[in-house]
Amino acid sequence: MSAAWTTILLPLLAAAVIAFSPSKMAKWIALAATGVVLAATLRLVVGFHDWGNGDFQSESEAIRFLPEFGISLSLGYDSVALVMALLNAVLMPLCVLGSFSAIKDRQREYYAWFMVLHASLMLAFASRDAITFYVGYEFTLVPMVFLIAIWGGPERRAAATKYFLFTFFGSIFLLGSLLWLGAQMRESTGAWNFDLDAMIAFAQKLPADTQWWLFLCLGLGFAVKVPIFQLHTWLPLAHDQAPTGGSVILAGTLLKLGTYGLFRIALPAAPEGAVALAPLWAILCICAVVYASLICWVQRDVKRLVAYSSIGHLALCVLGLFAFNIIGAEGSVYYMVNHGLSTGAMFLCIGMIYERYHTKDMERLGGLAKRMPVWAFFFGLFTFASLGLPGLNGFVGEFLCLMGTFVADAKSGVDNYPGVLGPNYAFIAASGLVLAAMYLLIMLGKMIWGPLREPHDDGHHEPSGLSPDLNWREIGILTPLAVLCLWLGLAPGFVLESLEPACTRMLAPFPAIVQAQHDAAATQGDAVAVADSTTAEAVR
Amino acid sequence: MTLSPLTSMLSGTMMASSDIPAATIAPEMAWLGWALALPAISALVCTLMALGKVKGKLPGWLTVASLGTCFVLIFKAYQSMPEGPVVIPLAEWMSFSWGPTDFHSLQAALELYIDRLTIFWMLFVTGLGTLIALYATEYMEHDVKAGYARFFAGVSIFLFAMTALVMGGNLLLLYLGWEGVGLASYMLIGYFFTRPSAVAAAKKAFIVNRIGDLGLALGIFLTWRCYGTIEYSELFQVTANAPREGPWEESLIPYLLMLGAFGKSAQGPLYVWLPDAMEGPTPVSALIHAATMVTAGVFLIARCYPLFLLQPDALTVVAWIGGLTAFWAATIGMAQYDMKRVWAYSTISQLGYMFLGLGLGTTFGACFHTFTHAFFKACLFLTAGAVMHGFAGQLDIRRLSGLSRVPGFRMVSWFALLGGLWLAAFPFSAAFFSKDEILVAGVGSDRADFQFLGWLGLLTAGLTAYYTFRVWFRAFAGPVHFEPGDEVHGDDHGHDVAHDHGDGHGHAPAAAHAHHHGEFHPHGPRWAMKFAIAIIGIGAVLAGYPAYESMFLHKENWVQWMISGSTAVGGAGVVEHVAAEGASHGHQVLGMSAHAATSLAGSIFGIGGILIALYLHLIRRSAADSLRRAIQATPIIGWIPNAAEHKWYVDEIYHAVFRVPLWVTGHVLHFIDKHILDAGVVDGIGASPSLVGRVFRPLYGGVLQSYAVTMAGGVGLILAWLAYTWLRGGF
Amino acid sequence: MTALTSDAALIRLALVIAALLFSIGIAGFLSRRNMIVMFLCTELMFQGAALALIAFGKMHGDLSGQVFTIFILTVAAAEAALALGLVILLYRRRETLNSEAWSELKE
Repeated sequence: MSAAWTTILLPLLAAAVIAFSPSKMAKWIALAATGVVLAATLRLVVGFHDWGNGDFQSESEAIRFLPEFGISLSLGYDSVALVMALLNAVLMPLCVLGSFSAIKDRQREYYAWFMVLHASLMLAFASRDAITFYVGYEFTLVPMVFLIAIWGGPERRAAATKYFLFTFFGSIFLLGSLLWLGAQMRESTGAWNFDLDAMIAFAQKLPADTQWWLFLCLGLGFAVKVPIFQLHTWLPLAHDQAPTGGSVILAGTLLKLGTYGLFRIALPAAPEGAVALAPLWAILCICAVVYASLICWVQRDVKRLVAYSSIGHLALCVLGLFAFNIIGAEGSVYYMVNHGLSTGAMFLCIGMIYERYHTKDMERLGGLAKRMPVWAFFFGLFTFASLGLPGLNGFVGEFLCLMGTFVADAKSGVDNYPGVLGPNYAFIAASGLVLAAMYLLIMLGKMIWGPLREPHDDGHHEPSGLSPDLNWREIGILTPLAVLCLWLGLAPGFVLESLEPACTRMLAPFPAIVQAQHDAAATQGDAVAVADSTTAEAVR
Repeated sequence: MTLSPLTSMLSGTMMASSDIPAATIAPEMAWLGWALALPAISALVCTLMALGKVKGKLPGWLTVASLGTCFVLIFKAYQSMPEGPVVIPLAEWMSFSWGPTDFHSLQAALELYIDRLTIFWMLFVTGLGTLIALYATEYMEHDVKAGYARFFAGVSIFLFAMTALVMGGNLLLLYLGWEGVGLASYMLIGYFFTRPSAVAAAKKAFIVNRIGDLGLALGIFLTWRCYGTIEYSELFQVTANAPREGPWEESLIPYLLMLGAFGKSAQGPLYVWLPDAMEGPTPVSALIHAATMVTAGVFLIARCYPLFLLQPDALTVVAWIGGLTAFWAATIGMAQYDMKRVWAYSTISQLGYMFLGLGLGTTFGACFHTFTHAFFKACLFLTAGAVMHGFAGQLDIRRLSGLSRVPGFRMVSWFALLGGLWLAAFPFSAAFFSKDEILVAGVGSDRADFQFLGWLGLLTAGLTAYYTFRVWFRAFAGPVHFEPGDEVHGDDHGHDVAHDHGDGHGHAPAAAHAHHHGEFHPHGPRWAMKFAIAIIGIGAVLAGYPAYESMFLHKENWVQWMISGSTAVGGAGVVEHVAAEGASHGHQVLGMSAHAATSLAGSIFGIGGILIALYLHLIRRSAADSLRRAIQATPIIGWIPNAAEHKWYVDEIYHAVFRVPLWVTGHVLHFIDKHILDAGVVDGIGASPSLVGRVFRPLYGGVLQSYAVTMAGGVGLILAWLAYTWLRGGF
Repeated sequence: MTALTSDAALIRLALVIAALLFSIGIAGFLSRRNMIVMFLCTELMFQGAALALIAFGKMHGDLSGQVFTIFILTVAAAEAALALGLVILLYRRRETLNSEAWSELKE
């Protein structure tokens, strides 16, 4: 069994084993399985064929799954997919470890669903086939809905329902467009084929207005997952109500499926449409940055605050993609990883507090640096990573996304990559730097600084049985994330370099399209000018 | 386009950008990278010690040792300094290139750019850093069991970031340092984190700074966009050949960089965070918020001076903001009662002078003043800290008097007097010369607005002398009298911020006073604090030596020599230029050369301010109160004393104009999000299927047969339709 | 009896019988309340459909109608086992076979 298959099949196997093993063993099996998957993913990274090649590199022979419909189970990675898979593989064991004391009932189900979630995420990131990608993408819904609806907070049912229906609504557009594209291909080539590369190559040749519709539908599908402004209302509720592990994966990797989908499918498949719709998307992203930041400011619930902050952060990430240049694209992918790490870590920190105090209300909690200095250190570190302090990971992605947007216009310094955005967009989006500092520092000021405020135990909760400050297990969860945050902030070179070929490949169709658009606009402008002068002469 | 007057004034030195020689790459000087690495290591170790709850003074000594080593390294670099700028590559950071040629690249490596400006700045940053850290090992000893390691972790992070800021070889590394010093400042202002006022001050400092940082970040984006590089070594070669009339983006660059500088250096509208930053422990106020970090803005403009010279109007804005801030802060400083707050406003005011100098085109004057200011202001803060340390946090000058006669505080008082004289620019003190260098550029200018700023600066010098000696005569001279603060050793340091509460009489709990009064014995500083104060005081005296050099020995001024070998060369020689021009064109001020006039006026204003303070605050202290009452009784200007005491209500205005509207908007948006978007639109769409279902509900009664009837009815309908179509003539 | 020997007549007769079987099934299903009888009625409908399929298969001259019928028989057998099992379970709960006793699906 190759390493790629291990990452998908082993969690499924573990899920089956957990379902039939004693309840006490469940978490250990889950931990072992996620550990092996992490090792297998690292093996994939080490054994990656060619870092300089942006193509999707096959890890194993394709299994002709439904040959007459052109669906095959073939796995492979480019560096972007590999980085996303690695992010997921890193977060999963930490989530399992973080659930050790938090999940007390129905442990077998919990960890089994977690393993299923793991497998489907890995499948989505490794798929080279549109249908298997969709299966992985969509199947994440099932375990996540159960995780929220069974182990979530007081409004868990409503949260799970809304999450399911909302994201399912988006997926219909995604599936519809993929099937439509498949059918179009069958008409022209005579056989079904859902291979992603072939589909993208075919779709790029479609006429511009068809691509417009295609991008609208594909984009809508992924926009719900990201979530883009106005399609975001499922997110605060789902994040807030999910158990800690669920929130971490939801913020860490599930949201990234949306941005990854944009990167992998929507943008390359319909570049004409993407260019035409880029200003609209960019405006939505900019609105989201300001809107989400201001809402964060007035939150009382710390988990909800972090959830809303994800909307703003991912908006910046998407903005980078729509810069259509290498800086923005690489920054965006880097941002996906960073957001996964720092926001995931913040949810873990909040989970640790919730286990101890059974509240996330910032009016009732405060000054925890006095009681929990180690926790406060980690929470502060991740907060600063999240607000983009240079030297920590968040900065690199944020900076590159903004920089990419900044130079994304006709006469930019990146003259290989003209874009359709530019400084006007970046100026407003950059205001997020200040707004993020505002709400995150207000949160920090309430949560860890100031006089100690702890909720008085009202007798309804059993004591958590945890030490006042973090225990070694919890320190062990947060330390790798802290080290990664620092490392990715100080030495982003290797990752950025490895992302470059894949980003270059994704961006390949864009410069010509954008340039053609600018040329057309210029010609039109000239024509108008000529018309004006002739009119003026005629009048004279 | 006609060149602006400033440009013509500077025309003699306008070769600026092209004068900057190309940098040589010197990997053999990589040992200088330790100046960056040592504070980082010490920061890491101190953080781990803080987490591991290490008790003892080890973190303090570790920090002092690493900073001291840094100073030695910098000094070594100073001695072996090559003629031109040097780039020392250390490691990769954020670099990429793409496209067929490597022309398309964004290079921001971990590299050092060493020219004389770098060394100049690093010399006083690391030197003062070491001494102040030494001072802090004793000052913070009450906290050995609490935050001692955390404090020194913050100091180490600060020094690391400051090193990156000053020595970094590109704007992005400067930005890293820029935000890093902001983080250190946040950590250290909020050091006494159980005190809400400290937390609020820390937050305010970081957020206000972030507004400036936003400007800096945008400036960096634009720089790269317009010039294709953010590495100094390339940037200043590109700008040397840049056309004067660039696109609008290009003309925006200096304004955005300026915004960053104003944030960090507490200028113009962004000064409000610095007075509140005095919530931090005093060594922090001395090191970060007086001597080093707040000068980063000056450094930024000096470093990027070629970019500013391309937009002379931007320099005019810098001059105006600097000059007005200097005056504005001095007016507030005159009405404060907390010693540290007065020094804080004096810092803002003195930084204003430096910006005035930059704007007037004399980077030399600005940097010289930065240099002298670093010493005498550190000296003032450290003596204030010694007082605070000895009197349980008391700093209110209404409750302290005659400290120079209190045993243990004699030396402190004399060094405070030294710092005060220097701050007041007493004739022939170091600051007298450095301030003159700035003001003469204004007074001797051809431009009326610069002349106005020069005279405003001279007036401000008088105000400065007054408020400085108001503090000294009140607290250190006169009859011995003191009330200790309400701070218990071992717990948080808290100094009295009574005047913040508007009653003007303070609110320190009387019970605490009574409790302390009988048994209170102020304890003077011991050797570490005394040593640091003494060395820094001597440094303040010696800082004037470069001026003596040029004035009496007719040698090249050391500071000028340092500045001329740097990117700030564009303004290094302006004073000579003005003087020469004055001589040749017969341009005279008050019948003298501009230089002589400025010196004379500066002396008169300075001594006059001191004499007024002497009368009002030492000889007849009651006169100050009656004067205040007299002003308050005057109809039109009666509001002034109270308003000045309340800092002209700037904080309140900001609160009302910025914070409240944003906060309200946040609530409105949250309401929209929760109740209209989510509960209205989304849930509305979600509810529509069930509304449709309600219409058909009667068809499904729950009994099995009723479903069957519905089904059969449906089948019947379809059959009827088929039959109908068939009868109509086929399908 | 020549009518019966011709294929067309045979098919027509089979379709009529199929329709009758199906109609009897539906009528019984709708009018009776005993669950076992209702179940028997569904079986009648099944057989009607199966017969119609065979007849159509004959009409088109291929075997797919019969193949379907075999499937239907198999499925019907499995279903019979399941349905009877359900009926027994339901009877145990309410001690009645009246289908009107079960109307929780309403909400």
